[in-house]
Amino acid sequence: MVLFLVLAVLGIHTYVLHNVLHFDWNIAFEDGTTSSLILCSSVWGIILLIRAYPTTAAVFIYALAMALVVSLATTMAEWETLKSIGGNNEDYKAWLQHSLPIRFLVIWIFDSWMATNAALRKNLHSLDTRFQQQADASALLKEAELFKLRQQLQPHFLYNSLNSISALIMIAPDKAQEMIGKLSDFLRSSVKRESEDFIPVADELLYIQSYLAIESVRFGDRLQVVLEKEYTDDATIPPFLLQPILENAIKFGLYGKTGTVSIVIHIVLDGPMLTITVTNPYDENMQPPKGTGFGLEGIQRRLYLLYARTDLLETAKDGQNFTTTLIIPQRHV
Amino acid sequence: MYKVILIDDEQLARQLIKTLLLPYKQIEVVAECADGFEGFKAIQEHNPDLIFLDIQMPRVNGFEMLELLDKPPAVIFTTAFDEYALKAFEAHAIDYLLKPIIKERFEKAIQKWLQQADKKEVPEVSALLEQNIYEGYQHRIVVKDNGLIRIIPALEIYYIEASDDYIKIVTKDGTYLKKSTLSHIEATLDPQQFVRVHRSYLVPVTQLMRIEPYEKESHIALLHCGAKVMVSKSGMAKLKTLLGW
Repeated sequence: MVLFLVLAVLGIHTYVLHNVLHFDWNIAFEDGTTSSLILCSSVWGIILLIRAYPTTAAVFIYALAMALVVSLATTMAEWETLKSIGGNNEDYKAWLQHSLPIRFLVIWIFDSWMATNAALRKNLHSLDTRFQQQADASALLKEAELFKLRQQLQPHFLYNSLNSISALIMIAPDKAQEMIGKLSDFLRSSVKRESEDFIPVADELLYIQSYLAIESVRFGDRLQVVLEKEYTDDATIPPFLLQPILENAIKFGLYGKTGTVSIVIHIVLDGPMLTITVTNPYDENMQPPKGTGFGLEGIQRRLYLLYARTDLLETAKDGQNFTTTLIIPQRHV
Repeated sequence: MYKVILIDDEQLARQLIKTLLLPYKQIEVVAECADGFEGFKAIQEHNPDLIFLDIQMPRVNGFEMLELLDKPPAVIFTTAFDEYALKAFEAHAIDYLLKPIIKERFEKAIQKWLQQADKKEVPEVSALLEQNIYEGYQHRIVVKDNGLIRIIPALEIYYIEASDDYIKIVTKDGTYLKKSTLSHIEATLDPQQFVRVHRSYLVPVTQLMRIEPYEKESHIALLHCGAKVMVSKSGMAKLKTLLGW
């Protein structure tokens, strides 16, 4: 299309020079070819200039300014070149001088047109990239959300609790209702906090307690949980991190041992860091029960997504005890 | 009168089954157990016709307990969620109840079992145990030792040797026999850790000290524990790929 335009310009240019202004064919053709070639290189130059422009910020202003500068320079170059072509033809030289404003106008229109076109393309391209990035980001977000959902759904826990309720319905209906209440509390607080990034530690503990209430119905006197806390009310924690750790501790403890199992949760606010340690008895010969808890791996991953750190979750075995340490950096302290 | 044992670590889960069994006058619950250890003892003591068995239990899980029994009774598994095991049950026509256990489904299972028991056509659970019913690899082997149960962590194993219908597990505390095949044990243990160096030997790579040529095409491996085991041509090839020689 551009080539066609250039050829058309060349044709009209030569024709007008010969037939209207009565220069001979030689001069007309030489003038036409030269000015068309110079116009082409000018357009090509401006496109390269716009493409080389690093950002899309103010690219249109840049394009128009560049078009003005380049077309001025092109007109100068054209004048110098054509002057030497014309030789001794004084008529041509005089006409050439007169035609300069028109020549500049034509070059300027072409340059501005191509420059804005290039700028537009650049803008579209960056929009495309941005759109792609946004799509990627929202896909990541969805994945994280799904992960969270899976994390809190815990089919094992739910099915086993329902089984306990089923038993209670037959042997102690009033307790069954109580258990349904506890399970509903737990599920309700799971759903409610779905969208929040950080919640007060006290809220998380309430949630943990509703979870523990169910577990103690299931495991009876075998489960004992001790809570030690030293923190201020403004301490916060991302939701759903503590519960899987506790679930792990309970399973590890209960599956590794018979008899009473005591789990200690210790929470302390130390400067900008909230440190939570969960200790449970542990039998080395015992392998972790499968399918329960989503493991510490999932928590590690969430901590990484939140803080870009891998050192916030640590585990240690010492003799009979298994300790999980979780560190939560406080934002506003 | 049929004798039944309930094995589940949750008291309420056992209570549920006991209550559902009440209408069946021909069935008597002779024992209730909270883990595989107790289950093992109670089964030997009562020789029940049927057990209800949970898979995930403290200390010794349901499968491990069954593996230790010379003649396991009929089993109805009870589990909350274990896709991997369910596939194995279906493959061997072993019945199972998904938790929460629903009365209708429970009665169906009991009716089916009663019919089978009358005709003496109860499916054998031992066939199930020969197959790999575990998801992922095991980090221990449970054996019987003078009527007691002993748990051998995989890390404490020097080597395992095939011996007729048994396998011999050699550890620092002594040698234990288990009724199983080397191929079965090989399938349950982590292949990055244990290598079948010979038809009759399964060896942890960490135990290997030196390998020397022996006769044509075969080698002999010296283990850290001082034992020597044969390494076949294919065993040598496996070692080479695993250890990147």
